[in-house]
Amino acid sequence: MAIHRPCGTFDRTYYEAKAIFRTRLQWGMITALILALYGIAFVMNDYLLGLSIVIFSFIVAMLGIQIITGYAGQITIGHAAFVGVGMYVLACVEAHLGWSWWVGMPLAGIGAGLISMFFGSPSGRLKELYLAFATLAAHFIIVYVISNWESMTGGVDGIWLSRPEPLLGIDFMVEHNYYLLALTLCIAMIYLAKNLARTKLGRAFVAVRDNDIAAEVMGINIFSTKLLAFGIGGFFAGIGGAMYAGYNEYVNVEFFPLMDSIWFLGFLVVGGFGSIFGAICAAVLWKCLDEMATLMTPVFSQILPGLAFYVTASFSLIMYTLIIVIFLVLEPRGINHRWNIIKASYRLHPFAY
Amino acid sequence: MEQIIKLIVLGLCMGGIYALVAVGYVVVYKSTKVFNFAQAAMITVGAYALYQALIVWSLPIWAAVLFTLAVGVALGLLVERLLMRPLIGQPILAPIVVTLGLMLLLRGVILMIFGGQVYGYGEHFLPLGAWHVGFVTLPMIQVYAFIISMVAIFALIQFYNRTRMGLAMRVTHEDHVVAQNLGINVKRVFQYSWVIACVLGVISGMLLGNIQGCCVELDVTGLMAIAAILFGGLESIGGAIVGGLTLGVLQMLTIGYLAPLMPGEPIMMVPFAFMLLILIFKPYGLFGLVRIERL
Repeated sequence: MAIHRPCGTFDRTYYEAKAIFRTRLQWGMITALILALYGIAFVMNDYLLGLSIVIFSFIVAMLGIQIITGYAGQITIGHAAFVGVGMYVLACVEAHLGWSWWVGMPLAGIGAGLISMFFGSPSGRLKELYLAFATLAAHFIIVYVISNWESMTGGVDGIWLSRPEPLLGIDFMVEHNYYLLALTLCIAMIYLAKNLARTKLGRAFVAVRDNDIAAEVMGINIFSTKLLAFGIGGFFAGIGGAMYAGYNEYVNVEFFPLMDSIWFLGFLVVGGFGSIFGAICAAVLWKCLDEMATLMTPVFSQILPGLAFYVTASFSLIMYTLIIVIFLVLEPRGINHRWNIIKASYRLHPFAY
Repeated sequence: MEQIIKLIVLGLCMGGIYALVAVGYVVVYKSTKVFNFAQAAMITVGAYALYQALIVWSLPIWAAVLFTLAVGVALGLLVERLLMRPLIGQPILAPIVVTLGLMLLLRGVILMIFGGQVYGYGEHFLPLGAWHVGFVTLPMIQVYAFIISMVAIFALIQFYNRTRMGLAMRVTHEDHVVAQNLGINVKRVFQYSWVIACVLGVISGMLLGNIQGCCVELDVTGLMAIAAILFGGLESIGGAIVGGLTLGVLQMLTIGYLAPLMPGEPIMMVPFAFMLLILIFKPYGLFGLVRIERL
């Protein structure tokens, strides 16, 4: 949709042709949005701040699966486990080595990336459905190892950890300071992902997704490209997990059930395949719906006393599946495509096209 | 030696059910080229439908079983018509996401109706008790489950080989376009495949619900059966049977020999580790078709 540009906008240099934001208005709008996001930290209450932090960490994790599945086309049903690896690497680094969150966070990303590469390595021989099986197996194996390696991970009891140490006099125990940290990290990761998609590697990912044999003929080493996709996607997942674990101050195997792996994949479709904006929308939608389901619990407990817990759980299961199926049938290209259509029709307003 | 024979016999009994579940996956995959992850949830549905009919409504056994099979047929028709038909021709990710979602949807519906407790049939379904053959003690429910599974699979193979619809389905397995040119209604074949798979799913659900108790986690047992299909090859019913029996034996041997050495419940993890090994060394299984791609 890059062709549909505001009237009278031309590229006169390569620099302009490469730019993500092309007009002053776009620059102004994105700056205003970011400033607004930073600004509202000081007016939101702790509940909203907590929800936003969760959303930010899931945006980062969702960018990871967008790179693996959306850009490089390698289907993974183990993404929640990769996020979990990130959480546990951070927790173990803090608990056993006593290092701070600031060291643990990048290590979490690297650890999750390596694990993700390990379980993605069958992608050298397998594709599509078979790769889905391999990552499904990865999910169960990771969860088994984490819940049974008691000396390292504390088993099913989980590990308590601490918030990031104060930096430059900013105390991250205060909710809105952690929000600012999460927002900054999230913006940095979005910037990274957006630019990754425009590099040589990103283009190689897309080529592998669209037809891996053709990509190989074009001189792309598909195995290393696929492995890199898994590694980078896992890195994003690990950072997302570290952000979440740092906020929660506690990690547990229950935080990444198989269900979450499936929702990652499902909401990726809802957001839109192969677009950063789609991944952001997907994560926001998913976590807001999650929160809605939790908020409905008191309502359910009034209607069906005694069954409220199960009704809440099943309500979200049913609602998410219906949303995913409706999107797949009616708008397989996701929210991102719909949004592009809206933008284009606004620009072309009096004309249909 | 006695120990190992015991474990193998028990493993074969358990493997019979895995084979039945695995055949359910294969039937849909062969016809529609869709891998139906939701087969795992059909098991849960079957287990709970039987519980509802047999215990809650206290129907006689034959009526309860008929009701459960009817639920299977209805589910197959609904899923095929509402979810899968609109997705024909979409990229491979769409059916994967939808069937995974359907698995969770069915889990949600069951949680909503029954809550999260574990139910059992007690002695209302298959007779309890055990046979003593030499030094091996065979629980009757396991043996009956094995026999019922094998009968169901045998009936399916006869259906494929003896009936006109079975012939049409075998043609469809080869090529959808060719089948359509021969005047076969491919959509009808898809419908039949889904119904057959769901019926096989609810049958295995009844048997597994009897052995393990009705709980929503039965679908993980269903996912374990994927390892069985991969071992045999995704397109082969014979392979699914061999794979199911192998998986059952492997799991029992793990319980017997590895469980004391490993923490936690390796029984949950073994099928998946097995699956990963097969995928790394022999991805198309023993009897599967090796896919050759060209541009």
